[in-house]
Amino acid sequence: MKRLLACTSFLAVALTACQPANSDVIKIGFIGPLTGDAAAYGVDTLNGVQLKVEEINASGGIDGKKIQLVPEDSKCNGSDAATATQKLTGVDHVVAIVGGSCSSETLAAAPIVEATKTPLMSPLSSSPDLTEAGEYVFRDYPSDALKTKAMAAYFKAEGFTNVAVITENTDFAQGFRQSLAKDFGTFVFDEVVEPGTKDFRSLVTRLKSAEFDVFVANGQSPATISAMVVQLREQGLTQLAITHDAGQAEETITIGGDGVENLQAINVPSLGEETAFGKNLVEKHGKPRGAIAFAGHAYDAVGVLAQAIDEVGTDGAAIQKYLNDLTSYKGVVGDFSFDDNGDVVGINYKLIEVQDGKWVELRDAPVQ
Amino acid sequence: MTFLLHVIAITAMSAPHILGYNLILGKGKILHFGPLGTSIIASYVTFLVTMTFSNYFLGLLAGLVAVVAVSSLFAWISFRMEPDGFGVMSIAMHLSFLAVVLNWHSVTRGALGIPRVPRFPFLETPADFALFAVVIVVLWIAFLWVLDRGSYGRKLAALSEQEWQAKSLGIDRRTVHWVAFVVVGLGALLTNIQFHQYIFLVHPNDFNFAYLIFMIMVVVAGKPGSIFGCVLSLILLSFLREGIRFLPLDADVLGPLRLIIFGVILLGVVYWRRDVLFPKPRSI
Amino acid sequence: MQLLVNALIAGSLAALIAGGLAVVYGVLGVFNLALGQLALIGGYTTWWLYQVLHLPLGLSIILGLACGALVTWVTFEIAVRPFFKHHRFLPLVTTIAWSMILDGLILLVFEERPRSILPGLKHIYEFSGIRISLEQGLLILATLVILLSFAYVFHRTSLGRRIRAVVQHEHAALSLGVPAGLLHGFLFVLSGVFAAAGGIFIGIDQSLTPTLAFPLTIKAYAAIIAGGKGNLWGAILFAYVIALLEQLLVGVHWFGAFYVPAGYQQTVALLFIIVILLIKPAGFFGNSSRTA
Repeated sequence: MKRLLACTSFLAVALTACQPANSDVIKIGFIGPLTGDAAAYGVDTLNGVQLKVEEINASGGIDGKKIQLVPEDSKCNGSDAATATQKLTGVDHVVAIVGGSCSSETLAAAPIVEATKTPLMSPLSSSPDLTEAGEYVFRDYPSDALKTKAMAAYFKAEGFTNVAVITENTDFAQGFRQSLAKDFGTFVFDEVVEPGTKDFRSLVTRLKSAEFDVFVANGQSPATISAMVVQLREQGLTQLAITHDAGQAEETITIGGDGVENLQAINVPSLGEETAFGKNLVEKHGKPRGAIAFAGHAYDAVGVLAQAIDEVGTDGAAIQKYLNDLTSYKGVVGDFSFDDNGDVVGINYKLIEVQDGKWVELRDAPVQ
Repeated sequence: MTFLLHVIAITAMSAPHILGYNLILGKGKILHFGPLGTSIIASYVTFLVTMTFSNYFLGLLAGLVAVVAVSSLFAWISFRMEPDGFGVMSIAMHLSFLAVVLNWHSVTRGALGIPRVPRFPFLETPADFALFAVVIVVLWIAFLWVLDRGSYGRKLAALSEQEWQAKSLGIDRRTVHWVAFVVVGLGALLTNIQFHQYIFLVHPNDFNFAYLIFMIMVVVAGKPGSIFGCVLSLILLSFLREGIRFLPLDADVLGPLRLIIFGVILLGVVYWRRDVLFPKPRSI
Repeated sequence: MQLLVNALIAGSLAALIAGGLAVVYGVLGVFNLALGQLALIGGYTTWWLYQVLHLPLGLSIILGLACGALVTWVTFEIAVRPFFKHHRFLPLVTTIAWSMILDGLILLVFEERPRSILPGLKHIYEFSGIRISLEQGLLILATLVILLSFAYVFHRTSLGRRIRAVVQHEHAALSLGVPAGLLHGFLFVLSGVFAAAGGIFIGIDQSLTPTLAFPLTIKAYAAIIAGGKGNLWGAILFAYVIALLEQLLVGVHWFGAFYVPAGYQQTVALLFIIVILLIKPAGFFGNSSRTA
């Protein structure tokens, strides 16, 4: 029985490996972690992508052709991402790919999209290694450099000199930490915990005897970030706590309750759930599992790719040239364009705070 | 066509390690759950040395030495413990290696992984890799076959059936088991050198438990201890795993469904193979 | 001192799970690797009943435990009973398979979201420099109560004597009329209830995510192996010891010179077993003898 099943899937793979390209639809691929530890971001980015695809199709598609989304699960590791990308380029012959979320996925997909000249846009990978990943690799998620410059500028403006950081040991949070260290300087308390840790009590106990002005909750998910802040407050520490876009989510408040009151975050603007985009997303796909920012970047990734396809057609090289020459694209995450390496520039940051159980935008957080 | 070649390449590359694992778990009935720990050491040492000195030979040599050392460590620990204790301990060691890799940033770049790993100069396209991987696997199978059919295979099987009786016949448990661990280590080295240069990346996420469970499944499904059974089940299970992508299901249902399907398959396969996997010890 | 309290909190969470597991291991000789998932199911069910259906907390907890017991019984019937008589190690693999199935089901039903049974800041009490919340205090007390009542049953009642008889020598117990088969099932389900309790505690104190099952299981096994096969109290003791080590390792300014990087906190449990097992391969309180 199992062998029969396996044989049929083998045949399926072999047959579909030689599929002619269907010219009635424009295929766009997606790779992201839909299962595993990082599934929260994968599902959120997929929902953002799906939202935009549905919108475009509802208003007629691109040049009359509908977009067909082909999602693949890359489970936040390189080998599955490579296989997923191979399938998308070799079997489905997609025009462009949105993904990956984890930096390891994007790094593994990069050589394949370079070889097949398929533009890839990552909505979430922040690793600095991606800057040189290739000509066909773009991202509309800023390399950590931008975000941390904004945070460092904020600290300097407020006169904070002693900064305490607890980081979750994932590529996303580690990239942030190293970049912040470069932009700000040394931290007075700098600890890295295993991914998924929820018990910060002993670290917080040590923090009690440390002198610091602000605490950066550098976690990977709302669960860990709110645990950090809540346990900080439980031990009586009242210093300012600040996090980044991974923490600005409804879940942080749901889990943290009063503990996360006055928690600040630096994030791209207009991504709260009261905005038009947020309302739309929640209506069609439910509340985001991670942070709404992830869906926002994915939404814009599809948007800018669709605009490129609309202007120059489905040839990979033409799209790549268009993206490089693009001067500005107005998306929900901001008004942005791409530099020579495919990294995004132009995204503004705002300072946001939890007030009375809701995220409220305070003011701009300029990158300086 | 490229996709098919890619799947063949990946399957053939993962074969040496799994076949080695088949020897130790399937034939030797040694509960070793730490082969990925050996993989971690093999990959990181080989590629770090290669990239630091820009010399593949040096990297391979370092990898070989490291792998034999780690395998010997596992073997030594297995001699000191009861089988179930060793099972848990090997998982503990795997997780410890992973923790070291994640935390020792200055050397391993931690959670960021090592991107743009250099390839062998003669390997470029998926077709090249597929061919190379298949050649290596065939040679490895030949080596394992000779080992299996010769006196070594008989000794290993004897030890797994009745350990003290075998010892009383003069079979040295320590040597035979040590060789088994080293074979797993060599398989790990072969697999990991090919695999990581193919995807250009060494990253801690590639060494997590999902993969160990896949290895156990392959060994249990193909008659444990039989080389060709293992190869067949590897091919079938790999194609099944990738074939599931083609099912027209909603993406966020597909993931959990995949877990459930593989869980059911593993359960069914253990039930089917329960006599071969862990045979009822015969008493006089 | 705060560190000790932290250790008590963390240790209580682990002790229940480890204790249940030790009983199963001692009696049946099997490893139940689906235990983490059973804890999660207990926690998630309680969350659902309390936060979604808005049942009172006490009722939610009881029903959560009942649900955990039910799923554990199913686990026993599917993954353990058909196999463990055949060979002791088979359930190792079948429980892994079953844990994958449970993982998939949990993901489908509860989605990839963190859930907290009692969200928000807890009421903190402070005395002599130690801060502890009401909920945490209750949790520690509840754990102690459960463990003590189990101890009482185990050592003072006839049921407990029967259990201990089965642990020592199953065939002899059978010949004396002790229903070993029933007791096996009972003990297994009991371990599942303990695990569910542990899961509920985690849901109250921290939050539940679908992926926290596996590290829990590993830590529980660390405690058991260190404590010695079949020794219930050894396992519980070591659960607390491991928790203490984890908190101390990161919290103390060693030799006034350096702090251990927090990333190694979880590794402590693992390194600890490695060291114990090298010194005393049968565990601290076990007997060292290798049988053919």
